[in-house]
Amino acid sequence: MKNQVRALRMKHDLAQGQLAEAMGVSRQTINSIENERYMPSLPLAIALARYFGVPVEEMFGDGELSGNHAL
Amino acid sequence: MGNYPAIMRSKWFLPLFSLVLGVVVLGASWAGGSLGSGLISLAVLAGFGLLILLAGRSETIRGLRGDGRDERFAQIDLRATAVTGLVLIVTLIVAWLTEIAQGHSGSPYAWLCAIGGLSYALAVAFFRWRG
Repeated sequence: MKNQVRALRMKHDLAQGQLAEAMGVSRQTINSIENERYMPSLPLAIALARYFGVPVEEMFGDGELSGNHAL
Repeated sequence: MGNYPAIMRSKWFLPLFSLVLGVVVLGASWAGGSLGSGLISLAVLAGFGLLILLAGRSETIRGLRGDGRDERFAQIDLRATAVTGLVLIVTLIVAWLTEIAQGHSGSPYAWLCAIGGLSYALAVAFFRWRG
């Protein structure tokens, strides 16, 4: 699944190691998430979204959900 | 974000586990009258523990050692355990069939296959029940 983790991390000028430390996971785990090789658990996904202050469905997805929530 | 208890996320986990296992093997060997092989086993296991403790900072080493364990490593660990179980059960079945083909009773491989199969069935039932 596509995600915005790398884009948000770069936007906040963070290194993978800094984000990993904040999340309590390894740097390689952050790298795997960014490269879509690992799907994080729900608690980690929520923690990442809260850390960057965005809804979790915007962080994990193709980014097309923004501003299009009415179904 | 890890699925491991704190003690298993310490860098001392695997080295201490190796050392304790070495001491247990030494005790068993001593009880069996082969103190020499027990001491060799202890030296090998303690050496392995020391090597892991002093090894580099690669993700694989830190994951095995304990200090690099997080939720992704838990998933890797689970898959590696499943592969190990598969290799073991295939090996046991082949060994059992080879023993039978040679006119032997198939023991202890038949028992080990039965224990493996029963453990798997019970584990499936338990985890299905637990949800």
